[in-house]
Amino acid sequence: MTHVDTGARKGTGTRSPKSVQSSTRLKRIHDRSFALMILPALLIYAIFYLYPTLSNLRYAFTEWDGLLEPRFIGLENFTRTVTNDDIFRKVLGNNIEFSFLVIVFQTAFSLLFAIFLLKNTRTSIALRTLYFFPTILSSVSVALVWMFIYEPNLGALNTLLRNFGFDSLALSWLGSETITLRAIAFTQVWFHTGQMMVVYIAGLQQIPQELYEAAEMDGASRWQQFKSVTWPMALPTTAVVLAYTTIQSFRAFDLIYTMTGGGPNNSTNILVTLIYQSAFGEYRFGYAASLSVYLVVFILLLTWLQRRILRTKY
Amino acid sequence: MKATRSAKAFKLFIAAAFALTATLVPLTSSQAAGEVKNQACKNEGETTGTFSSSLVCVKNSQGRLVWQTVKLGATKLPPVPALSAPDGEIDFYHWRAEDRTVFASIIAKFEAANPGTKINQVISTSADHEATSLQKIRGNRKAGLIVTFRGAHFNNAVAGNLLEDLSNQQFTKRNVIASMMGAGQVRGAQLGIPYHSLFNNPIYNIDIFKKEGWKLPKTFDEWLGYCRAAKAKNYVPMAWMGGFRPQAGQIINSALMSVGTSADDIATKVTAIDTGKAEITEAWFKTMAGKYAQLRDAGCFPPDPKGVTEAAGNALFATGKAPILPTGSFSMGGIKTLNPAMKNNMGITGFNWTNDRNAKFTGITNNTFILGVNKTAGATERRIARAFISYLLTGPIGQEYANGTTQHVTVLDVAYTDDDLRNTSSIMSERLLLAPRFLFLNLTVRNLVEDVLIDIVGGNTVDKAIEDGAKLIKQRF
Repeated sequence: MTHVDTGARKGTGTRSPKSVQSSTRLKRIHDRSFALMILPALLIYAIFYLYPTLSNLRYAFTEWDGLLEPRFIGLENFTRTVTNDDIFRKVLGNNIEFSFLVIVFQTAFSLLFAIFLLKNTRTSIALRTLYFFPTILSSVSVALVWMFIYEPNLGALNTLLRNFGFDSLALSWLGSETITLRAIAFTQVWFHTGQMMVVYIAGLQQIPQELYEAAEMDGASRWQQFKSVTWPMALPTTAVVLAYTTIQSFRAFDLIYTMTGGGPNNSTNILVTLIYQSAFGEYRFGYAASLSVYLVVFILLLTWLQRRILRTKY
Repeated sequence: MKATRSAKAFKLFIAAAFALTATLVPLTSSQAAGEVKNQACKNEGETTGTFSSSLVCVKNSQGRLVWQTVKLGATKLPPVPALSAPDGEIDFYHWRAEDRTVFASIIAKFEAANPGTKINQVISTSADHEATSLQKIRGNRKAGLIVTFRGAHFNNAVAGNLLEDLSNQQFTKRNVIASMMGAGQVRGAQLGIPYHSLFNNPIYNIDIFKKEGWKLPKTFDEWLGYCRAAKAKNYVPMAWMGGFRPQAGQIINSALMSVGTSADDIATKVTAIDTGKAEITEAWFKTMAGKYAQLRDAGCFPPDPKGVTEAAGNALFATGKAPILPTGSFSMGGIKTLNPAMKNNMGITGFNWTNDRNAKFTGITNNTFILGVNKTAGATERRIARAFISYLLTGPIGQEYANGTTQHVTVLDVAYTDDDLRNTSSIMSERLLLAPRFLFLNLTVRNLVEDVLIDIVGGNTVDKAIEDGAKLIKQRF
C-alpha cells in the first residue's frame, strides 16, 4: 500500500513546526470540547447512578435505621443473610421461580405472537396494537385490575368459573402459598408480552426474505424453516429480549407490592419487595442495602449465563 | 399502686367517654332534657358531649350512677382561638385520602383567614406513609406538618428528632382532652397531638342484625355461635381481609384484651415478644392463637381468607354480603363512600375474646393521627404548621372534621351530629383498652406475629404456624 503524504498531495511539502504546533493545538481543543460535551452526561450519571451505587455499597456494611447515624458492622449483613435468614432463602427461591416462569413464557409468547403477526396486514396491525396495549398502562393500574379479577369471593375469574360449573378450578389466586406467585407471574407475562413482541417483530423483519425462499426451494417445511432460519437469525433479538425480561422479572416490584405486598406468608416476596420492606417497612436500611448488592450480583450472573448459553456477541 | 392505676384507668375511661361518645341526645345544646347534674343515670359512660358543661354518667362515692361534669382539658381555662399564620406555603403529610375533601374545605377557610398562606396535602396510602414519610420530611423545608401513627411510626419520628415540642402551646393545654394526649407524649414532652379517637372494634350492619333477629355477641362462645348462624344464612360472617395485613391485624387488638389481667400485664407480655425477651411459643400466645383457629373452624372468615383484599373486604360489608367488618370506626367513612345506603346503618360492638361477660376489657380504643410539627422544616413553615394545628383544634373546625369524616376527635367543644358517629355511642358501655397492637414498636416482629395469625386463619395448624413464626422472629434479633 502506497503511503500518501497528504501535505505533499496538497502541495504544502513537509509540514512546518508551526503547522504541527497548530495541529496539536487543534487536537487539544478538540479533546477539550469532547470532554466538555460529555461532562453534563457524566455529571448526571455520577450524581444519579454512581453516587447512590457507592452509597448503597457503603450502607451495606452498616446498621442504619434511615434516620440516625449509620453504625459500621462489617460483613454482618451479608453473612446473616446467608447463614441465618430463612425469609431471604425463601425469597430467593420465589425470585428464581418467578423469573423462570416470566422469562420462559414471556419470551415464548412474544416470539409466537411476533411470528404470527409479522406481516403488515390490517388484522396483524390491529392485533399488534391490542397485544401491545397493556404495556402503556401503569403497573399499579394493571395490578388493581388483576386484583379484582383474582379476588376469591367477588372476583371475575372465580365468578366466571363457578358460573360455568368449574367450582373446583375457582382457586385462591391471591391467598395461596403455592398458586399466588404463579398468578402474579401470569399477570407480568400478560403485561409485558406485547412489548417484547414488538422487539421480536423488529428483529424478524430484518431476516432476508431470500433465506426463506431458498429454504422453500430446498423443500424445507415450516418447522424446518423456523429451526434453521428464523431461530438462528432471531438469536441476537432473543438475547436482548431475554436480558430485558430477566431484569424486568427481577424488578416486578409494583405488581407484587400492590397485589399481595409479598404475602401470604412471604410466598410472593421477591428480592425487590424484600428490599423495600426491610428498608421502608422495618427501617433496616443497612440490611436492605446488602440485599441490593445481592440483587445486582444475581442479575449480572444471570445475564452473563444467558449470553453464554446463547453464544452471541449481541 | 394498684389503686392509683385503677384511678388512672377510670379517669382515662371517663375522658374517653366524653370525647368519643356520639351523644344520645340532641347535640345542639350541651345537655338535653332528662339529664340533670347529680341525678341518677343508667348507662355508665354515657355522655352529653365534649363541652365543659356536658354531663357524663359516672359512679359517685356511694357507687351510684349519677350525671356529673368532669374536667376534660388540662386547665379550667376556655379553649383558645387559632394562631395566625405568616405568609408562606407548607406541605401537610398524611395518609387519609378519604379526608381529602374535608381537609380541603378546612384548609380553604384557614387560607382565607390567613391570606398569603398556602397548605398542600401530600397524601400516601397508610402503608406507604408509614414506610416513607419520615424520610420525605427530613430536612425538607416545606414539609411543615406531619401526621404519625401511634406506636412505631411516632417513635421513629421521635428517635429521628423530627418533632417539635408542643408542650407550651396554649392549644395543647386548653383545646384538647388531656387524658387522650398520652400517645403524643415522650418523657413529659408533647411532641404530637393525637387528633383521632378510634374504636378498633367490629362494625356491624344494623339492618341485617335486626332482620335476622340476632343479638350482638357478648362472649367468645356467642361470637362462635353468631358465625355459625350467619354462615347458615349464607352470609360471610366477618369481612376479614387476610390479604391486607394492616386491616387483617386489627382484630389482634381484641385478641390481646384476653391475655392479661390488666393493661400493664398485657403491655408487659407484648413488649417481651417485641424485644425478643419472650417467644410466641409461650402458653398465653398459643391460647390466643388457638382462638383464631376456633373462629376459623366456626366459619367466621370469608372463603380463601388470605386472598381477600382490602377493597374486597370493604365491598363484602358495604354490599350486605357480610354483616360484620372487623376493622374499626375509621372504616365507616369509606363504607359510606362505597355504598351511601349504609349511612345510619352501622353500629359498633366490642369483641370479647373470653367467656366472661365481666371481663376486664371488652372493647378497644385508640388515639392516633398524631399531628406534629417537623423540626427540620423552615422557621416560617413551622409557624404555619403550628397555626394550622391550632386551627384544627378549635371546636367548630374539630366538629366540621369529625362529622365530615365520620371520625371522633380529641378536641374539646365538639358536637357529633353525624348519625353513624352517634350510633357508635354504644361502644362506651364496653370496658375499653388502649389498642395494644401499637405496643409493638418493632414492625418486623409485629408483621411476623400477625403473619402467624393470618396463617392460622388460612388453614395452618396453631403449633406449626407458631413454630415457623417463632423461628423467623428469633432470626430477627
